[in-house]
Amino acid sequence: MAGALAIAPDLQLKDRDRSAEHSTLIQLATWAGCCTPCVSLDPPDALALEVSRCLRLFGGLGALVDKLRCGAMRLGLDIRLAAAPTPLAARWLARVRPDTFISAAPRWWRCLDHLPVGLLTEGTTVSQATLELLHGIGMRTLGDIARLPRNGLAHRAATSVLQALELARGERPDPRPWHVAPPRFDSRLALPAPVSTTEPLLFASRRLVAELTGWLGAQHAGVDRYELHLEHGDTPESVLHITTGQPGRDEERFVMLLREQLALFKLRAPVEALRLSADTPVIRAGRTPDMFGDVEQARDAASLLLERLRARLGHDAVRGVRPWPEHRPERAWRTAEPGTARTPHPDKQPLRPVWLLVEPRPLASVGSLTLLSGPERIESGWWDGADVRRDYYVARAPRAGRWWIFQRLDPPGGWYVHGYFG
Amino acid sequence: MNAAMPTPLADLPPGLVWRADSFAHVTEKTWPTGYAALDAELPGGGWPGGAITELLADTPGIGSIELLLPMLRRAPVERWIAWVAPPCLPYAPALADAGLALSQLILIDPPQHSALVWATRQATASGACHAVMAWVHKIDMAALRRLQLAAEASATPLFLYRPLAAASQPSPACLRLQLTPEENAIGISILKRRGPASARTLHLPLRKRYPARNPHALDSPDTARPALASLHARRG
Repeated sequence: MAGALAIAPDLQLKDRDRSAEHSTLIQLATWAGCCTPCVSLDPPDALALEVSRCLRLFGGLGALVDKLRCGAMRLGLDIRLAAAPTPLAARWLARVRPDTFISAAPRWWRCLDHLPVGLLTEGTTVSQATLELLHGIGMRTLGDIARLPRNGLAHRAATSVLQALELARGERPDPRPWHVAPPRFDSRLALPAPVSTTEPLLFASRRLVAELTGWLGAQHAGVDRYELHLEHGDTPESVLHITTGQPGRDEERFVMLLREQLALFKLRAPVEALRLSADTPVIRAGRTPDMFGDVEQARDAASLLLERLRARLGHDAVRGVRPWPEHRPERAWRTAEPGTARTPHPDKQPLRPVWLLVEPRPLASVGSLTLLSGPERIESGWWDGADVRRDYYVARAPRAGRWWIFQRLDPPGGWYVHGYFG
Repeated sequence: MNAAMPTPLADLPPGLVWRADSFAHVTEKTWPTGYAALDAELPGGGWPGGAITELLADTPGIGSIELLLPMLRRAPVERWIAWVAPPCLPYAPALADAGLALSQLILIDPPQHSALVWATRQATASGACHAVMAWVHKIDMAALRRLQLAAEASATPLFLYRPLAAASQPSPACLRLQLTPEENAIGISILKRRGPASARTLHLPLRKRYPARNPHALDSPDTARPALASLHARRG
């Protein structure tokens, strides 16, 4: 450190944060639940994943390794991977020979013989003193130790070394507690420097979203709402509520909705940390691909469009319409949630225009109009104070199409346009 | 002798040579309009499946929706029919009567113009819509091009309703129709299509049959008024 400071006197030193390291490990373990249900923490910096039972699901070890690498990259982590029939051997390989993938062949442990003896303290009960003893008698690799007489080793109080080797070779059982994902998702990401624009926030929150989707994948669940908390330091945090149309765990969709919300969001103060939280996961089975067509996919695209439009334009800017049983034309419709309106049975409907003017437009003169149909008397609503008495006609206006006009029968009377035929 | 004979153009494979008096060879999917006379005038025999169609008219109510109804009625269940910034309220009882599935309609009311183009593009690009109908007044060339690309990429027909004045503005739309009101019909002049220019105006009869006029009602509203007034007097 003194040497580094001599070269770069402006170097800023930060203390190592062990609790942050541990929580990062837990984050990665939670995410890795989407690859295998058997994830075990191996502190301080390792995870053991039991994958032999899910290789077939992911299409072999190579595909699974790619998935793990991509996932860790999205979480902003650089990982080293190795595979072996026992967790301890895998950990040793990941430490010194990353990207070694050994499967359970007879006498596979011969591969461990070339590993340096210093690894013995890694993840075992071997003490530093025992290691120095082994160094002292000229041991350089694990193979050297394996060739030593066992009795002599045990006699020199080095039973821990024998145990470690047995664990690594699978001659002694090595049970591990599996990591249990938290029931509620809550993950925090401290930003390296306060941020006052939304673009870096989106980039940083991708990492949290990747973690969220891993957590959901591990539980075969989906969420339909989650919250992004922006921590400002002194002032109270801002919260973005993101709602999806249906429970899901599609990372791209989550990020897309977040982007729309962040684009509209006005930051009150610089953001120092992000926190993503989600309750209420809904169990949602994976989808079986359909041999005939992609109806399900089309339905997904339909709800995605709705979510995207609403995230940007507001919930009420996107709606459906449905008819309502009522005689007064201006009340014979209601807004409806898109996709829910039921089309009534086609019965003998009186003729209605495609376009309705919410406020009828007064007509100065009707002399130039040609009446095509009518009158249709509509008289209703005396009970709620908004009663109408009107005679409706279909009229053709010169060079302007067909109008739905009415004559008000109550004083002050007059003619109005109430709609246009499409 | 035979070898020197020029090959008749008609014998060439379609799409190899385009002759100026025939339609362009259309490879994309088209949607029959439901009007045989109009289909005959359109390349591919229908509305272009992945492109902008511009419908130019100044007033609603001349049959510009009815023109699309046969196509809209064929929407598959899981797809939307998007109406972006319609000029008035699309009236649910009439739409149901016209045979549209109301559950498939989404009405989008963008608060400002930039959001209108954005929403139109999203709806078009999503591939989740059977058809997108958008009412735009002013739109620049760059935005039109983006919409055209979105329509092409997702194979979604996009219908832009624009004012008549837009006819003089160049547009990347592959089909531009000018709509004019006529008595019980709609007049269509094809301003642009993939193929030879069309000089004639089509007259499509509107399907709607109006119920007969009430024989007791009078011919003109002006004469109707005193008659109704006397009716009121009796009631009073």
